[in-house]
Amino acid sequence: MTATLTPPTSDTTPHEPYRPKQRTPFAYWRSRFDVKASPYLYIAPFFVLFGLVGLFPLVYTFVVSLNEWNLLSGPAGFVGLDNYVAELTDPFFWNSLFNTVSIFLLSAIPQLVGAVLIAAVLDQNIRAKTFWRMSVLIPYVVTPVAVTLIFSSAFDEKYGLINNVLQTLSIDPVMWKTETLPSHVAIASMVNWRWTGYNALILLAAMQAVPRDIYESAALDGAGPIRRFFSMTLPSIRPTMIFVVITATVGGLQIFTEPKLFNPTTATPGGPQRQYQTTVLYLWDLAFNRQNFGKASAVAWLLFLIIVLFGVLNFLISRRIASVESRFIAKKAIKKGKRS
Amino acid sequence: MSLSRRTKAVAAVAGAAAIALLATGCSAGDSSSSGGSGDKVELTVTTFGTMGYDDLYAQYEADHPNITIKPTNIDTGDNAKTDWQTKAAAGAGLPDVQAVEEGWLSAVMQVSDQFNDLSDYGADEIKDRWVDWKLAQATDKDGRLIGYGSDIGPEGLCYNRTAFEAAGLPTDREEVATLFGGDDATWDKYFEVGQQYKAATGKAFYDQSGFLWNAMVNQQPEGYYTKDGELNVDGNKDLQKLWTTLSAATESGLSANQTAWDWGKGKAFTDQTFATFVCPGWMLGVVKGQVTAAGGDATTGWDFANVFPGGAANWGGSFLTVPTQSKHPKEAAELAAYLTDAKSQAAAFGVAGTFPSVTAAQTDPAVTGTNELSTFFNDAPIGEILAQRADGVVAQYKGPDDSVIQSQVFGPAIQQIDSGKADGAAAWDNALELLNQLVVNK
Repeated sequence: MTATLTPPTSDTTPHEPYRPKQRTPFAYWRSRFDVKASPYLYIAPFFVLFGLVGLFPLVYTFVVSLNEWNLLSGPAGFVGLDNYVAELTDPFFWNSLFNTVSIFLLSAIPQLVGAVLIAAVLDQNIRAKTFWRMSVLIPYVVTPVAVTLIFSSAFDEKYGLINNVLQTLSIDPVMWKTETLPSHVAIASMVNWRWTGYNALILLAAMQAVPRDIYESAALDGAGPIRRFFSMTLPSIRPTMIFVVITATVGGLQIFTEPKLFNPTTATPGGPQRQYQTTVLYLWDLAFNRQNFGKASAVAWLLFLIIVLFGVLNFLISRRIASVESRFIAKKAIKKGKRS
Repeated sequence: MSLSRRTKAVAAVAGAAAIALLATGCSAGDSSSSGGSGDKVELTVTTFGTMGYDDLYAQYEADHPNITIKPTNIDTGDNAKTDWQTKAAAGAGLPDVQAVEEGWLSAVMQVSDQFNDLSDYGADEIKDRWVDWKLAQATDKDGRLIGYGSDIGPEGLCYNRTAFEAAGLPTDREEVATLFGGDDATWDKYFEVGQQYKAATGKAFYDQSGFLWNAMVNQQPEGYYTKDGELNVDGNKDLQKLWTTLSAATESGLSANQTAWDWGKGKAFTDQTFATFVCPGWMLGVVKGQVTAAGGDATTGWDFANVFPGGAANWGGSFLTVPTQSKHPKEAAELAAYLTDAKSQAAAFGVAGTFPSVTAAQTDPAVTGTNELSTFFNDAPIGEILAQRADGVVAQYKGPDDSVIQSQVFGPAIQQIDSGKADGAAAWDNALELLNQLVVNK
């Protein structure tokens, strides 16, 4: 804010034409209400909506998870934490967690590497910048259902494009839909295809914020492009990187559409032997195929707790990084002081 | 204390906003349901797949000027099940007339008290319309009739003439029926012909084992449950014997290990990957759709024979129910009765290939005559064959977890034998293990 603007401290009571004295209390109360209560009114819609669609389902799910609860016939008695105990000893729950983490790692790591590389390329002085930036975002615009249908058909075991190509190169076809690792790779490829460009743009924004004169002086000091990338670009975009990692984690742990539609005709959602049944898919299967609403709610809460755990980790890491940042800035300030 | 006053004000504001939101939500919901004064009635109908009712709705509205029909059609039966379950669990949102598929009828029967007993709305007068087992299926354990039967799925055998010819087998549909044993057709005979076919062509005989297993179980007087509702899989000698027969045939290479409902987007139907296919009435439309999707037509060679291994079998078919959530059960029941009468069912068969469950409709010229579907199947008298295939079908008791056992217990086991990952005995053991985990100790 510029200094020419004086804060309107004395203007809070409106300048109104003279009115009979008995009206003053109302105006006074109105302005008091305006100052004290209206801010809450402004933020109320968010909290009311959050209460309705966020908090209430959360609490209700917890209540359901403490009961033996059939989807159709309703509650059948309080069982305490039995549903949680049952799920924590259920091999299918751990299988789903393994699948989720495996698909997450297979998607997050290549995706992040790819996004950084793309962002680094886009950060250069290239022709038709906007065209390239928009092109990178196109996969993100396509609905995941369409992506899954296309990839699912390409990864088909007997008639799919990829296996056909492999066979013409006389390589054995890969069982993309019935073996664990290939199916994870296939699903991760859909996630990567969709999210790499999006993350690249976010990282690009962070890269653009790095002051150009630092690069120039580094170049003058003899640092090549690769050295500049690893020693300057990467450290500078670290906070943004953490943000990207966390959104990818939360999204990755909740993956549903891709495994659900990857082979939609299979009798068990997530592959005939649950090869790629992720936790959310397992939860859905529990609730809507096996009608066990109580256990499904318990799984939902366990997943919630796992995501919270990741969130706390994020908080700790980003706080550490922030302190590293401030130390770095402080050091720079000292150096500058010395120089001048 | 000033703080408490402020909190109160905030609470009041938040409360007011909440009420405002609720109020707008409610008024939006209310406007869609018509007034209950009795004159104008709007009936909502939820169907799935292709049931061929569109013309019938228009006709009914023309005959009943006070009734408006609001139909919703969901793409597949499974999605319709999810839709129904969600709304039933929520206790709101179900239509006046809900179509229910035989595959998830057992889930519906768990909560049959959430459906109106149609005997209260004149079912007794029209009861003799249906084949008796269809009526029995829709009757719950307390003797309440909760659904009017629409179509049934008597199973015949689809075969590919071109493939049979290449193997030196007969191609005429009468001769094919005799080849498989005619009225005494057994699964052993079916697999024996399969071995002949494989020896001659080196190709698989059926697309995958799941549909065969489904038919085998459905043919038994008792399936996964006894008549009294007891789970009966572990130690069930009849089922185990069938499993051994099926897995032995599959291990010898008779199964093409296709993904059911995908079939390489229909390509497996046109490139002679397999030669025979299990065909309930409604499946004929599916076969035609798959062949057409892969660029084939009537010359691809699919035909329909009046024979089925192991005797009469039924797969699928639907019912029209009236959930108790309906505000107009009387009008809804009347509409359901109209949609399932002989004339309507014959008309629906012509459009969607759904074979009537009403005996009078089964001999209707619209059913027995030629139509688009019969032309596709080399002019096979589809209606007549299906009527004969329906003869001798019995309603099997389906337990509450029947569909889970079919898809999640035996589904994975079948995939194991089809893909050669386990032999029959090991797959059976795996199925029992899954049964314990998913059904017995749930």
